[in-house]
Amino acid sequence: MVRSQVVKPRRVNVTPWVILFGVVALIAARVVYLLSTGTYELAFFAGALLSALQLGSLYALIALGYTLVYGIIRLINFAHGEVFMVGAFASYFLFANTPYALPWAVFTAGIASAGLMYALNLWRGKLSDPVVLVGGVVGFAGITYALSVASLGWIWAMVLSMLVTGVVGILLDRIAYRPLRGAPRISLLITAIAMSFFMQNAGLLLFTRNQTPFRPETSWTQFLQFPLAGSTVYTSRMVVLIPLVTLLLVTILTLFVSRTRLGKAMRATAQDPEVAQMMGVNVDRVIATTFFLGSVLAAAAGVLWGLNFGSLTQPAVFGLLPGLKAFAAAVIGGIGSLPGAVIGGLLLGFLENFVPALFSGVTEYKDTFAFFLLIIILLIRPSGIIGEDLSEKV
Amino acid sequence: MKRTVGLALFALGAAFAQEPVVVGVNLELSGRLVSLGTPELEGMEAARAQLGEVLGRPIEFSVCDNASTPEGSVACANRFIDEGVVGVLGTGGSTQAIPAAEVLQEAGVIMITPSSTNPATTQVGDYIFRVAYNDEFQGEIAADYLYNDAEARRVAVFRQQDDDYSFGLAGFFEEAFVALGGEVVVVDYTGGTVDFAAQVNDVRAFNPDAFYTPGFCPELAALLPQLRQQGFADQLIMGGDGSDDAQCPDGGGEVFNGYRFTAFAEPEQLAADPEAAERAEAFRTFFEENQPDGTFNGFTLSGADAYNVLVAAIEAAGSVEPAEVQAALAELTDYPGVTGAITFAGTDGTPANRIMGFFEYQVPAETEAGWAKAQLEGLTRTFGE
Repeated sequence: MVRSQVVKPRRVNVTPWVILFGVVALIAARVVYLLSTGTYELAFFAGALLSALQLGSLYALIALGYTLVYGIIRLINFAHGEVFMVGAFASYFLFANTPYALPWAVFTAGIASAGLMYALNLWRGKLSDPVVLVGGVVGFAGITYALSVASLGWIWAMVLSMLVTGVVGILLDRIAYRPLRGAPRISLLITAIAMSFFMQNAGLLLFTRNQTPFRPETSWTQFLQFPLAGSTVYTSRMVVLIPLVTLLLVTILTLFVSRTRLGKAMRATAQDPEVAQMMGVNVDRVIATTFFLGSVLAAAAGVLWGLNFGSLTQPAVFGLLPGLKAFAAAVIGGIGSLPGAVIGGLLLGFLENFVPALFSGVTEYKDTFAFFLLIIILLIRPSGIIGEDLSEKV
Repeated sequence: MKRTVGLALFALGAAFAQEPVVVGVNLELSGRLVSLGTPELEGMEAARAQLGEVLGRPIEFSVCDNASTPEGSVACANRFIDEGVVGVLGTGGSTQAIPAAEVLQEAGVIMITPSSTNPATTQVGDYIFRVAYNDEFQGEIAADYLYNDAEARRVAVFRQQDDDYSFGLAGFFEEAFVALGGEVVVVDYTGGTVDFAAQVNDVRAFNPDAFYTPGFCPELAALLPQLRQQGFADQLIMGGDGSDDAQCPDGGGEVFNGYRFTAFAEPEQLAADPEAAERAEAFRTFFEENQPDGTFNGFTLSGADAYNVLVAAIEAAGSVEPAEVQAALAELTDYPGVTGAITFAGTDGTPANRIMGFFEYQVPAETEAGWAKAQLEGLTRTFGE
């Protein structure tokens, strides 16, 4: 997202391309070799590649939240994994426990319609716009009605959970981070870690302490098997849904950042918050918007994650490892860069689910791959694969 | 005046005599193994409600939640040492038990674990006891069952590499199954894993005809659906006593239909020892009144017996000095427990006559209907025979 406006003489650097081509060639050679031994079939690698795409898309969605926030306020938001957790559990309670009693419906609809107003304001540009106000009122009435009479399908649960989690993200910024604007960056970082712990334990208190089933009625989770080169590829319909939703959300996000007034304000703030403020940009609102967007994406990832794996681990650990890995993905791709986060996420998915298929006996180490790659990237290219040059920021 | 002072002193003395005996309870009451620690605590509470006094003094629990982590468990152990408790009951899992055992052994405090089955736990020292069988036995029985009854020859084992229970049990199973003439491939995962795509791919080339999953439910609930989805639709999947946890069928759903596991016996399965079966049945009746919201399973019975043997040893020693109670425990013979007769004399702290039952989850296809845990008729094994 943070694209420097300073035009620099373009230097064509061939080294990355040579490395990329080399790695791809090595992998292809390994696949061909394994196929020639006869133990493995093409379908096996196809299945592994599909599951890599599934996982990678999920990581990408979470990583976008890290990169958005970092791009604007230079904060590694360690509570982002917990925002992801809130999204998943919010949607679970929406589709599994509706219809709600009226007070609950009003409460939830209140939060969700606040989120809806915020989402509309991204398009209209200000909160006091009539469209936003009308949308909020209509949304509140509609959501209250829907929640109190009917059981929600997972898609509506996902949309509402995204709105609710967006509001949680804004509150996170308002309560924990905004009072620390201008404080040393280390204070913010420590606060983020504290918020992470706080939300983990709040989740244990408010949601559940147990493994939670996540099986809404949908045909998307059905198994999918198709023949390939004389064998069968085993996967589920999620392999279509997850990348599709990711693509859709990333497209919307990119359009928002590049085409709207608020998006332009975000880019300006990313470049230099002080100057942006002098130019009349409401920096606090831009930051709140950033948290809203990141949290909405994280909630979508949480719902897809639950659908894909069929159950949610208990709140204290649910967001921990996915959050850390997505953070690694964001840094690997180049923190602060939107395409970087997507590339980093996909790369991690590929590393975790495809590479173990190539080499036997490495599966048990796959949780370390993300961090191993992180170290390598930090050593040889600290700004990430397509990240900005950090030196110009200092 | 003098008489009043004398009376006051006497009253004070009586109050001192009534000073409670404090027993530490170190269990998984939150975190990933909460549904293992909770029934054990409920069992202990029910047993204390039955018999809450020893040597004329009331017994009090000092309950410490180890949050299902080894660090938490060690912190609890240190707290108990500071409090000067006579003994510690717990923990539920071996990963939590072994480090706590090391701390308590060093300090000379008794520890009785209801359900840590890794042999290493009681081998830490002479102050550490358990009322469970060990995994050498459990792994061997599982291997025997899969090889002889289920007629599996190629078994894929999913092992949680960062858990002492899972790691140990997988090892004993592999040893026994290979000795029987079968083939085993072991695939590792770490705690908290939800994406098993790579692990499942690892066993595809091996083409197993059964699976053994000696782990815990937070991971198994995610593993099983992926196994079934990835083309292993009909193979028998079997687990250990870590699967005796509602989080498995609740979290995983329909795929747990037909999932089998070995676990601590329930009252009906104690038929090999009719008197124990009677005691267990009586305890169940009492438990259901005393803990109406409690979970009753093999862990509950085990928790109760961990408490019972400690009280019996204090009674026998006639003292709350840990060294004397330890000596009485080490001499304990044929204590009539609700899990069977318990004898510590001449063992490493693992009593014989432990009865293990076989279970199967039955999960109907309709999401509305609940699941059931069925005991497999006639399938029980006794440890130490």
